[in-house]
Amino acid sequence: MTRRFERPSPGESTPIRFPAIARARLENGLSVWSIAHRGVPVASATLVMSRGTGDDPAPLPGLASLTGDLLDEGAGSRDAIALADAFGQLGTQLDIDVGPDATTLSVSGLARFLPDALALMADVVIRPTLQADDFARVRELRLNRLRQLSRSATTMADRAYVSALFGAHAYGHGALGTTSSLEAVTLEDAQTFWRHMYAPAAATLVVVGDIQLAEVAGHAERAFGSWEARTPAPPPTARPDLPSDPRVLLVDRPGSPQSELRVGHVGPPRSTPAYHALVTLNAVLGGQFTSRINRRLREEKGVTYGARTSFDFRRVAGTFSCDTSVQADATAGAVTDVLEEFDRVRDEFVPEDELGAAKASLTRGYVRNFETASQLARAAVQLATHGLPDDTFDRFVPTIRDIAGADVRDAAHAYVRPVEATIVVVGDASVCASSLEAIGRTVSIVSPEF
Amino acid sequence: MLSIPFTKTTLANGLDVIVHEDHQAPLTAVSVWYHVGSKNEVPGLTGLAHLFEHLMFEGSQHEPSGYFGPLQQAGAAINGSTSTDRTNYWEVVPKDATRLALWMEADRMGWLLPALTESRLETQRGVVLNERRQSYENRPYGLAQFTIMDALFPQEHPYHWPTIGEPADLAAAALSDVHGFFSRYYHPGNASLAIAGDVRTDDVVAMVEDLFGAIPRGPVVSAVTAAAPTPSQRRLVMEDRVELPRLYMAWLTPGLFEAGDAELDLVSDLVANGRTSRLYGRLIHERRIAVELAAGQTSRELGGTFQIVASAAPGHTLDELEAAINEEIERFGTEGPTERELLRGRVQAEAAFVFRVESLGGFGGKADQLNAYNIYRSNPDSFQVDLDRYLGATRDSLRSAVADWLGRRAAVTLAVVPQGTERPTLSGAERVERSAA
Repeated sequence: MTRRFERPSPGESTPIRFPAIARARLENGLSVWSIAHRGVPVASATLVMSRGTGDDPAPLPGLASLTGDLLDEGAGSRDAIALADAFGQLGTQLDIDVGPDATTLSVSGLARFLPDALALMADVVIRPTLQADDFARVRELRLNRLRQLSRSATTMADRAYVSALFGAHAYGHGALGTTSSLEAVTLEDAQTFWRHMYAPAAATLVVVGDIQLAEVAGHAERAFGSWEARTPAPPPTARPDLPSDPRVLLVDRPGSPQSELRVGHVGPPRSTPAYHALVTLNAVLGGQFTSRINRRLREEKGVTYGARTSFDFRRVAGTFSCDTSVQADATAGAVTDVLEEFDRVRDEFVPEDELGAAKASLTRGYVRNFETASQLARAAVQLATHGLPDDTFDRFVPTIRDIAGADVRDAAHAYVRPVEATIVVVGDASVCASSLEAIGRTVSIVSPEF
Repeated sequence: MLSIPFTKTTLANGLDVIVHEDHQAPLTAVSVWYHVGSKNEVPGLTGLAHLFEHLMFEGSQHEPSGYFGPLQQAGAAINGSTSTDRTNYWEVVPKDATRLALWMEADRMGWLLPALTESRLETQRGVVLNERRQSYENRPYGLAQFTIMDALFPQEHPYHWPTIGEPADLAAAALSDVHGFFSRYYHPGNASLAIAGDVRTDDVVAMVEDLFGAIPRGPVVSAVTAAAPTPSQRRLVMEDRVELPRLYMAWLTPGLFEAGDAELDLVSDLVANGRTSRLYGRLIHERRIAVELAAGQTSRELGGTFQIVASAAPGHTLDELEAAINEEIERFGTEGPTERELLRGRVQAEAAFVFRVESLGGFGGKADQLNAYNIYRSNPDSFQVDLDRYLGATRDSLRSAVADWLGRRAAVTLAVVPQGTERPTLSGAERVERSAA
């Protein structure tokens, strides 16, 4: 009976092998990747183009996202509704996502419909109609979406934060852009963006399912073979020069029962050699439920539903931030707690058992990321977007295992810099402004641009 | 045939154990459903089922320091959720941690209370109040659903109060109330355990016997019953920190697995979800009088609700939206869907079912579904029966579901309007206040 009450230890974990990626290239330059995945009869197809909101021209934030949105407002011989219906008849829908570094178009559905879905997807990418009335309607919807979001505490905080970190750089605005940029943008701008940025040489088609490369390449050729080869505009590669802004930026939102917080600064790009040390550091500091900041603010103090830190690794620069929402009367205390935890992870060696626990959760749980077709497709999209080698996922577990306390401390010194951290607070200024003054930093009232 | 091979065993203490083998990936999903939700609470003590979703992770007698540490270090994904009808807890673990996950579930099912102290309760009470602020009070339109449920169901009906609970009740809950609630509802006779993944059935059933077998069977939990609410037609308006007025129309509809339930689920997509839907075409694409649109049939044990939600484009009123929506419902209730709409609805339902069994666990994976069917239908093998409800829908059954259930004016019509709106854009609506805390 005593054994019954002894917690069992997990055994050895199974090594991870990411499935082989079989590759072909069409004459027009489109890369075609095929990944075998058996089980349920579903297939996933993703076209990833390595252009995104980071390619927005300076005067027109929001252009990449608007262009992506317009693609399925009419393509080939179909209008927006007919296109959506055609995907719907295949039991699927087209998802278009425009992120900082990449635009992805994806469909997941019953495997038997894959060729038809690819043909529709090709229409959307190669033959979008990009017409004036669709443009006007989409722009109006986006302007109204911005209006709606201007009342959301989380979006207000996100906007104030990226703007403080990146300023005029293309990473410094929300994907939707701003009211003034949307009012200035023209249909010609979207047509030009599509012509310059969308090209087979900048794109990869990833297909995951119970299917061989030869068959995938055949479907791809029929669907995308007519895509005209052209040289896309190069993506930005230079790391922007970004001064830090270590103020408290307070966005007054009267009546808020909680304050939405962002604390951090610019982070390194995906290509950083410190990647694995930073992933480990983040697991200790705030990446998980049991991480230091969540334990302190939620499990010890009960002042939040949750607190997280993250490194968002992008192509030319990233962000490091702690995101949380805390009850209004605990605002300044929570900011102080977060900054103290930033200091502590720099100043003190992470104890061996804590480091071991963080590494174990990262390595042992890693296999969960590769269960479904969509997960495998998302992983492959990461490889394509950042030009990472095929063994990236296989090397993750052994590399994390080799991370030592000194690696984490060095990474913390270089990439967690509390004195440079920007602190964004979206909350009721009448409740939290005076206690924020006591932190000892300049407090500026700002309002994010929508 | 859509079927998930499984074995079901019932232990002597009443615990249902469902095992499904799938050796694709070296993973195991563990799911525990307790047949307790906010409908088992009483007015004055609401929010307890959801509060347990927090307390169950804080520690048990033999693992008093909390559940996240050991499970995360074993590589687990962990979560839980609470609805009006049930609470679920799940882990997805590398297969070598199967015993660990089961041990943890057993310890909190059998030995939770010794670790459930006053200070734990106090902290999690604070966390839940902050969850309520974050997810509802501080979010645009976040209080609308509370107002709708409050108006749809009379005070004594178990769907009247929100699952997350009333703040005053959460503040008042004493440790003895919390202990009492646990003893009544969290035991083998009121639970279902499903395991899906890279396991051998015989081994894992033996393991479950070993770990859960000594937990005593609890008191019999009788099914919650409630008199069907009398549909009234209430028109309400409330202010919020929002930019655009939003219309909510809510009807009382058939409950989970009752006649008309699957039809109304299909109808929600055909009428108002996505670009192919009728209302998107009319309100957003053609007339441009709405900017956001959604609909859904929420199927619950004691009855369903159907809602259509739409926000007005600047310069347009909620009365315009309401009239256009009512017109479309009337047309659907008279003519039914086209053949093309019916086919699209069916194939989308089929795809949705396949995706639901694509993963082993989590919310909506195989372990979760097996438990859902076991709890709600006493038979885990209900995938095809469930899907057949959708594949068997006809143009006429969809038409009559709309005519029968949505034909009368909505039971509750709610307008959420920007603060300081002087003339509500919904005619005949009575103002309601909803305090934020």
